[in-house]
Amino acid sequence: MILEVVAAGLVISACLAIYLEEAIYSVVSLACTVILISLLYAVNGTVYVAVFQFAIGLGTLAVFFLSSEMLSEKLKKEKSTRNTLLIVALGTFMSFPAIFLSLPTIQTNISIDSSFVQALWNLRALDIVLQGLVMLTVALGIAIVLYERKRGES
Amino acid sequence: MDYVILSITLLAIGFYGLLTKHSLLKILISIELIAIAASMNFVLLASSLNKNLGEVFLILAFTTDTCLTAVIFALLIIASKRYGTCDIRKLAKLEKSGEEGEDE
Repeated sequence: MILEVVAAGLVISACLAIYLEEAIYSVVSLACTVILISLLYAVNGTVYVAVFQFAIGLGTLAVFFLSSEMLSEKLKKEKSTRNTLLIVALGTFMSFPAIFLSLPTIQTNISIDSSFVQALWNLRALDIVLQGLVMLTVALGIAIVLYERKRGES
Repeated sequence: MDYVILSITLLAIGFYGLLTKHSLLKILISIELIAIAASMNFVLLASSLNKNLGEVFLILAFTTDTCLTAVIFALLIIASKRYGTCDIRKLAKLEKSGEEGEDE
């Protein structure tokens, strides 16, 4: 039962994140999506991924929240509660196929299996390359910000 | 409950937002939803097959996801500071008018 409620909540919060015009509410809906997906992972037994998703997702959302507060324009016209409730109903309806239908499963004979720690150790090269990508992106971002600041001063 | 259908639903919502919304912040939220849908598919299929490799790949995929978010954030902040708006339609108009001004 808990999985079905989480799935319905996930779809509803995703719909609201897209629908709501006010950026703050939209970010709060996305935060609900991240929390619910972490819960879904935890319930399914993938605790490591749940913890990582929760930590990274909420870290990103904190930045989202601050930037949406700084950058978004205040809306003059607010959307009616009726439309929001309609979107909630639509989200609930959209979650029904996931709850009540099921696709046929495909049996595979792939025998790649190892423990979590072993698999992480085996993929350490890929991890290092991706960490390098993160460093490069951060460096690029800082360079762009500094360039813009210098251009603004001159 | 079928996670593939749930993942497809989230993917559809993300694509809808990507195609219909004009604010850069909304586009960023749509991309996040698409990333969540893809990763959910990965993890829950791997967990249903009792394979740990799917979880490990997802943790590595978070890295690229964070990079993507950082790049779009940089674009958002620069567009907002330089042009004073996050609306992609207004940004396209400003870009066009800037090009015409340079031609003259």
